[in-house]
Amino acid sequence: MSNLLIEIVHSPFGHENAYAGLFVAMAWASMGNDVTVVLREEGVHTGRKGQVNPFENINLPPTEKQVNELLEVGGRVVADRQALQMRGIRAEELINGVAVLDVSEIRGLMVECGEKFLSF
Amino acid sequence: MVESSKKKTVTMMLFSPPFGNQYADHLCRVAERALDKGYAVEIFLYGDAVHAQMTEQNPKLFFPVGEAVKRLIEKGAVVKSCEICSIARGYIKGELKDGKKDYSSTKVINGVNFCSIYGFVDMLSRADRVLSFGGA
Repeated sequence: MSNLLIEIVHSPFGHENAYAGLFVAMAWASMGNDVTVVLREEGVHTGRKGQVNPFENINLPPTEKQVNELLEVGGRVVADRQALQMRGIRAEELINGVAVLDVSEIRGLMVECGEKFLSF
Repeated sequence: MVESSKKKTVTMMLFSPPFGNQYADHLCRVAERALDKGYAVEIFLYGDAVHAQMTEQNPKLFFPVGEAVKRLIEKGAVVKSCEICSIARGYIKGELKDGKKDYSSTKVINGVNFCSIYGFVDMLSRADRVLSFGGA
């Protein structure tokens, strides 16, 4: 199985990036491939649980649903511990299944998956 | 120069529109260099990057992205554009017509093709190297 690493550095709702990255991740995973989504910088908001009706309120889908669907098909989603700490986001505020990694561990993932890496 | 029997494929994703920043310029320049060195080049226009496919771009001061896209296609690059992003931005209708999707448009540079996100996944699958421009 071919591995793809997708980095999301923009928050959902204000930018299209998080959705776009998660669409690719889901399509890649649904073809039987391995995918890791790394949430960094403002992208850590993508992994927050408890998003309240963004579609009804601002016509944008909740990334919470996309992340849950990706986890269900075996995708891996990790968040940068330092980025979370700087924004006052606790691990328990993340969607169940989103792992928290130190920046050194994230760099290791990037080196492992260096050939197929997309940034959003 | 890469020998044709061993031709490697570089797949490039562009996620930013032309002119507002230089990601499209960089992609075009890197893609042209890769073609010149004998690589197969495949480009996917995603999100606002689909504006790079617009005909009659006329930047007075900036890098002419439309002309560069045309030249890349002439040199053999495969340029595909996100179907749903292009429909959203009014480039194509994408409706079924005689059993096929209608991608006809006077607004799109000749040689730019359209595909779904699964088409992009196919491009990623056969890529030897993936480069990402403008997402971050």
